[in-house]
Amino acid sequence: MNSRRNFLRQIFGAALTVGAAPSLMSWALPNPQSGAIDVPGEDGLIVRSFRFVDLETPVEYFNTWLTPVPHFFVRNHMHEPSELNPNDWRLTIGGEVEKPLTLTLAELSKLETHSVVNTLECAGNGRGLYRPQVPGIQWAKGAVGTARFSGPRLRDVVERAAVKPTGKHVMFRGLDEVPGKVPPFIRSIPIEKALDADTLLATHMNGAPLTKHHGFPARALVPGWIGAASCKWLTEIKVLESEFAGNFMNPGYRFPNQPGKPGEAVKPEDTHVLTALNLKSVISAPLDGASLKAGEVAVHGAAWAGEADTAKVEVSIDGGANWNPASLGHDQAHYAWRLWTYDWKAKSGDYTILSRATDSQGRTQPSTAVWNPSGYLYNAIDQVKIHVA
Amino acid sequence: MSHERNSEARKWGQPPLQQAQGRLSAVRPHAARLAAMPVMVAVVVAAIFPFTAFGQKPANVKLTEDLPSGSMQAKATSSCLECHEARIILQQRLSKAAWAKEVDKMIKWGAVVDPNDHDGLIEYLSTNFSSDQPAYNPPRTSIEKPPRKNGEAKHAK
Repeated sequence: MNSRRNFLRQIFGAALTVGAAPSLMSWALPNPQSGAIDVPGEDGLIVRSFRFVDLETPVEYFNTWLTPVPHFFVRNHMHEPSELNPNDWRLTIGGEVEKPLTLTLAELSKLETHSVVNTLECAGNGRGLYRPQVPGIQWAKGAVGTARFSGPRLRDVVERAAVKPTGKHVMFRGLDEVPGKVPPFIRSIPIEKALDADTLLATHMNGAPLTKHHGFPARALVPGWIGAASCKWLTEIKVLESEFAGNFMNPGYRFPNQPGKPGEAVKPEDTHVLTALNLKSVISAPLDGASLKAGEVAVHGAAWAGEADTAKVEVSIDGGANWNPASLGHDQAHYAWRLWTYDWKAKSGDYTILSRATDSQGRTQPSTAVWNPSGYLYNAIDQVKIHVA
Repeated sequence: MSHERNSEARKWGQPPLQQAQGRLSAVRPHAARLAAMPVMVAVVVAAIFPFTAFGQKPANVKLTEDLPSGSMQAKATSSCLECHEARIILQQRLSKAAWAKEVDKMIKWGAVVDPNDHDGLIEYLSTNFSSDQPAYNPPRTSIEKPPRKNGEAKHAK
């Protein structure tokens, strides 16, 4: 690869980081208030909203490669289906196909099952860290998790319906209950991604049937892509000639083609629809604001790169002046995050710890994320401030 | 097909005790100090996380919040909270122009707002939820079971 360019990029990145550190420091979000809300099956999550249910995973839970389902973030645009009877559930496949078909859950379950360990992240994860602030759920760092998703391949179902040559996109409709005149949550993915061997109709998560919050009885699983691509409570698959034209494809879930000035509007024609996730790392320990004793400190975290692989993670304990390689965890899968750790002998003082990932495509996390009006794909170098006594 | 490779001992998933300690500090204790650790950790954890550490339920916070008081409180409640709860509003920190855009989007999406209240509603939202207000502090969901050792372990303990 072009090592000179990478070297220059790293130097430039480090310089930017040092410069950006003071402004980053004020971005830490407050700790959750005391008290708790009972949401069966969802343990210790941050309640961004109770109705609709939007729950965020606190970063300290990012200490296992697979996120237990009760700790897995929940994202809903609207009400969850009030009734889900697996016996009545049907999945229709139509549109640009020769043989439209309808499947029951029993029929779906008879198809060959495949598993993909995938890091699923909401496109808006980190929205609450953008300045100026933008409207939407103010996710901090935890609208992301990793699970083993299992179910038949989407292509096995779609090919059974025999896609016509005119079929170029695949649309998903879920059973979300739409309030008021809100546009229904319908999106589409290109046929190439739909026919990829790793794109699933997932019925299971970490070996158990999907829970209601995660799309029971079946959801799309579009690995490496923004969470919104993986439609929950799937009920209709439609093959289309062109990209679905609805609110959640345009103006929703779009990103500026070129970085603009923070706070400035972006013309719709200067945007593109979001697909793959960004390169990103987060620090799961120590927690921001922690007070530690001098001695051995293990800095932990996770790093992921959408459809690319995490190549390395570096940790700085001096606000970005010097970077040290972190050890990557043994557990890995193509679309899954890598856990990482950096052992550090801490002396007393105040520290700003940063983490920075680099991926197999040569991308390195930037010191500042590209501001955009909807607050998508936040991926700035992560940081925590700690005190060592 | 999964691209998963060999999965070795899950040293990355910490055992429950270390997990509890990890919330306080990432320091690895020396063996000599281990004996005193459980008591020390219990006391400090109980002080900082009185419910999460021991599975005790705290006094529950409200499932859904109220909008702040003011002459528009009742009207904002009926216009906005028909479809979603107040926290979705409480966590926003936006300029008046951004609030106006949100209100108009919501009216398009079915929110019932009397045209006479339109400007007052924007004023109410942008006064209470402007970018110079401190961030909203969300609650957490209660904990039914202690954190598990790894993602696929079923109800270990």
